[in-house]
Amino acid sequence: MRQLLAFEGFEVGRLLRSWKFLVITVGFPVIFYMLFLKDNNTGQVIGGTVEWRAYLMVSMCTFGALVAGLTAGGARLSTERASGWARQLRVTPIPAWSYVATKVTASMLVILPVLVLVDVVGAVFGGVSLSPGTWSGLTALLWVTALPFALLGVFIGFMATAETAFPVVTGLMFVLGYFGGLFNPVSGMPRALQVTARLLPSFHHAALGLALLDGHGFGTENWLVLAGYVAALSLAIVWKHRAEELRGPA
Amino acid sequence: MKTEDALPRRYPEQARAMVAGKPALRFEGVTHRYGAHVALDNLSLQVARGEVLALLGPNGAGKSTTISLLLGLLRAQAGTVEVLGTSPRRAVAQGRVGAMLQTGSGSGLPPSVTVEATLRLVRRLYKRPASLEATAERAGIGPLLGRQTHRLSGGQAQRARFAIAIAGDPELVFLDEPTAAMDVAGRRAFWRMIRQFGSEGRTIVFATHHLQEADQIADRVVVINHGRVVADGPGATLKAAVVEKRVRFVCSHPYDKELDQLEGVTDVDVQGRGVTLGSLDADATVRALVRHQVAFSDLEVTGGALEDAFVALTEHGCPSDRRSA
Repeated sequence: MRQLLAFEGFEVGRLLRSWKFLVITVGFPVIFYMLFLKDNNTGQVIGGTVEWRAYLMVSMCTFGALVAGLTAGGARLSTERASGWARQLRVTPIPAWSYVATKVTASMLVILPVLVLVDVVGAVFGGVSLSPGTWSGLTALLWVTALPFALLGVFIGFMATAETAFPVVTGLMFVLGYFGGLFNPVSGMPRALQVTARLLPSFHHAALGLALLDGHGFGTENWLVLAGYVAALSLAIVWKHRAEELRGPA
Repeated sequence: MKTEDALPRRYPEQARAMVAGKPALRFEGVTHRYGAHVALDNLSLQVARGEVLALLGPNGAGKSTTISLLLGLLRAQAGTVEVLGTSPRRAVAQGRVGAMLQTGSGSGLPPSVTVEATLRLVRRLYKRPASLEATAERAGIGPLLGRQTHRLSGGQAQRARFAIAIAGDPELVFLDEPTAAMDVAGRRAFWRMIRQFGSEGRTIVFATHHLQEADQIADRVVVINHGRVVADGPGATLKAAVVEKRVRFVCSHPYDKELDQLEGVTDVDVQGRGVTLGSLDADATVRALVRHQVAFSDLEVTGGALEDAFVALTEHGCPSDRRSA
């Protein structure tokens, strides 16, 4: 346990010392949020129950978690894999699974402050006012359900090369953001895009947050899709990691 | 071979007596294939504790496969592999083994962090690590501790990786082609450190394709080719028996690091435009020269037939001790 904590501290420390990572993960959601706030229809009601300002804050939380998860894994991890460091760790006493577990945990640990930051922007500039209980409940919910984003970043780090990871991450940020309805509500999109959105983790992640706020209860579909992503990505990562530690990086 | 006195001091007397007679590692009838390619062919090998052993062979002889099996990175398809009296994976998990692996084009180090932070982490992964100071001193990386890992030269990165390999104060250290990215002076300094580290009673197994390195550093040299042990004995004995071929040619821009990686090559000597390669397989080396489009002229191959030397060694046995079956 002591070893794993040391390893985790090392990983989180490296993330936080990377200014590129900080600029992207802090800057993107906050700048997007501020830009969208300029549309002054904050009181507009979406899909019958949710106000625009609540929708916007939850969407930007999801976007922040997505950006942090993708960036924490992504190109950083690809570069590191190519260096042979992962294989070197395999011949130290820590168990084989700890490499992947530490990466995913580090991503989760940096997603949390991003969510809190977006909450603060929402409370200060976004006109969102919630009870302390709802604030913490919402943040906890969005944090736990951000696991697919952490896994997705690590997955890309394992599949992509150092050169391809960056465009893939950037592309996915905007594809999952836009088509997941984080920049514009899905209800206003054409039918085909509405169907597409239901396949994306970003849509379901935000949907859970909104469900908590409008108090109508969670949709089973939201949980199932997110759980499906967690299962599929975990399996893919474990498979790739095992194959690689035996053969060495390509 | 060294006596039990050379074992690390931290072992109590009783434990010393127990381990003194046991081998550090044992390979018995190990066969390993990659598809149709046989990497190891019924290989048997024993290494005593405290021994400094060189695995010598041309590129592709099976050295890295042997080391991967000894570290539990690969599982033996047939035969027995034992390390420090237990399975390779357990020996690694117990923190009794350190290793410097081949990293290809990568540095083998985590990016965007200092050498010191990396070493501190690695130390904390072991139960009884050596002190940071001792490790830095042994690997000669004191001045590099504050450096970012991606700012190191090839040779500096190799030394940092050696520090990582020994940070846990292991009983047994594997080094797979540890001097691959070093120049001649760097190599010499590196091997001095290895000798020093080995003289503290640890078992060291290193893979190399440099006959000279094997001869000068190791107590014992095991020559591997096509996945089989073809010769086994103290370096001097082998040197007398193994006659390398010399491949000589003229080349306008010889690049020794590239030449060094060619098949069969055991030694590179560049004098101006004149190049002399020592080779355990001159035919393969010449083919590789052509394949890599080295612009050579005045090619000349000289020296005794190596195969004959190997046959002599393996059929009649080495004059002095042959420990492996």
